[in-house]
Amino acid sequence: MEKFNEIACEMFNLSPKEIKDSLTPKDVPDWDSMNYLLFISSLEKHFNVSFTMDEVLNAQSLGDVRFVLKAKWIT
Amino acid sequence: MKAKELKFEDSKKGDSAFFEVIVSESDVQNFAELSGDFNPLHNDEVYAKGTEFGKRIVHGMFLCSLVSRFVGMELPGKKALLMKEMLEFKKPAYIGDTLIVKGIVVHKSEATRILEILIEIRTKKELLASGSVHVRVLF
Repeated sequence: MEKFNEIACEMFNLSPKEIKDSLTPKDVPDWDSMNYLLFISSLEKHFNVSFTMDEVLNAQSLGDVRFVLKAKWIT
Repeated sequence: MKAKELKFEDSKKGDSAFFEVIVSESDVQNFAELSGDFNPLHNDEVYAKGTEFGKRIVHGMFLCSLVSRFVGMELPGKKALLMKEMLEFKKPAYIGDTLIVKGIVVHKSEATRILEILIEIRTKKELLASGSVHVRVLF
C-alpha cells in the first residue's frame, strides 16, 4: 500500500506523516469532490482495477478507500 | 464552430482526435491582451532578437489553451469538464507555425466518468509540448 499512500499524498497535498486511515474530507483542505474523483481514477489506473459508483460514493474516509482496494486483493 | 459530442458510454481507451492551427500575429497579441502577459519575449521583436530564440516566441499558455479547445471541441467535446492539465514545454512555438494538437485516451474510469488523455502538440518536424489531461464527461 506504499503506492496508495504516495498517490494520496500527491492528490491531497499531504506529507507521508499525515497519512492515516481516519482522514476524511473535513480533515484535508485539498480533499474536494474533484480531487477525490482524480484520486480514484489514479488508483484505478495504477492498480488496474475498477471501482463501482457505490464504492466511490460510500467511501467516507481514506481507510474506506483503502478497504475497497483490499477487497479487490490489492495489498 | 460546433463542439463534437462523444458520450462517455461510447468512449474507450485508444480513442483519438487531432486538429491543426496556424499561429497568427493576432493570436499572440490577443493572448497578451487576455492574459496581461506582455513579456517582451512574446511582444517585442527587437528584444526577442537578442535572446537565444532570435525572434518572438508564442506564450506557453497559449498552447495550453489549445488543449482546452481540444477537450472542449474535439475529444470528448461538448460534455467535457477539464479537471487537470499537465503540459511540459520542450521547444518554443513561433508565429506562423502550423501546430498539430492531438490526443489519445489512455484510461477510462467508469465510476468517476473521467478520461485520461495523453496530449501532444507538435509541428510536422518536431514535438513542442506533451502531457496529459483528466477530463470528466458530464451526463
